[in-house]
Amino acid sequence: MKQFALWLSTTSPSVYIQEHNTWAIPAIQSIHIVGIALVMGSVLMIDLRILGWAWVDQTLRQTMNRFGPWLTGALWLLLVTGILMVIGEPVRELVTFSFWLKMVLVAIGATVAIVFQRMVRRHEQRWEDTLVHSPSVKAAAILTFLIWVCIIFLGRLIAYDHVWGSWSPSEQQ
Amino acid sequence: MLEWLQRTSLAIHIRDSLFAFPLIESTHVIGLTLVFGTIAIIDLRLLGLASTNRPFQRLAADTLKWTWVAFVIAAVTGALMFITNASVYFHNNYFRAKIALLFLAALNMLVFEVTTRRTVGHWDRNASAPPLGRAVAALSLVLWLGVIITGRMIGFTTTRAAVAEPTPVEQNLEELLGLPGNE
Repeated sequence: MKQFALWLSTTSPSVYIQEHNTWAIPAIQSIHIVGIALVMGSVLMIDLRILGWAWVDQTLRQTMNRFGPWLTGALWLLLVTGILMVIGEPVRELVTFSFWLKMVLVAIGATVAIVFQRMVRRHEQRWEDTLVHSPSVKAAAILTFLIWVCIIFLGRLIAYDHVWGSWSPSEQQ
Repeated sequence: MLEWLQRTSLAIHIRDSLFAFPLIESTHVIGLTLVFGTIAIIDLRLLGLASTNRPFQRLAADTLKWTWVAFVIAAVTGALMFITNASVYFHNNYFRAKIALLFLAALNMLVFEVTTRRTVGHWDRNASAPPLGRAVAALSLVLWLGVIITGRMIGFTTTRAAVAEPTPVEQNLEELLGLPGNE
């Protein structure tokens, strides 16, 4: 991975970002943060609806219709800006424990978001009548929110990967 | 004052800890993303771009309390980061711009509360707010975007506080968990 990161850092898109790093990196990171904000706002509202703490005058399907597209759109924005950050600083991103653990959680979080939207659309009546009231679905809603919280922690910890000690590949040089 | 803040035992504790600053900074990101995410829901409703089928007051009741919870998280963690290196942050132009933008965002919100929101009964169910309300909403989005951008720039234009007694490199998660470190 170190070899790949070093190779990536010599490619022209990477060199371009590195040469313009005074504005390019903060700009990409700021857009990435806006994307996270849209994900967090959307996930919070959908989860509050499942918990019955907000949007109770709307059906689950209506709440999904309001926030689902924003959630999916924001995930695409995060993927694009995330890839740009990896291209811009390959070694800083790829040679860290935080980044890879984050990617595992992102895969889980994104899968939950997509599968959940599909399930609600396909079995709408069952979700509205029974599933939304079940304790396990409510627990899953809280767990999903916590996964995104952990993703934010890990994303920021990429900059502080030394906290992981020998788990961090950047410490093993 | 700035020097005193940096010398408080809390500031020293955060500076000397390997984990405190990264964890406080991460919590700050969680707070600020929830602030922006929930404010955007309100602003897009005022602009008539989303949630237009719901009365504004109902949407505000569902959303704004979480905005305030998140804002308190962001403000407390922000203050904790500030005291670790107060004199550097205080003289940083991006920090100053961010604080100015936060004040403008607060002023903007105040304008909304004493004008458009007073007449909410007339437009609560309309697809969008009256012109002043829409202007406030658009300005709010711009100001909060500015807060995010200037906030991120602070990290690129300041150096971390000098630590009186640097944390030994070997003190890390393994030590905290009592795991055997690799020698």
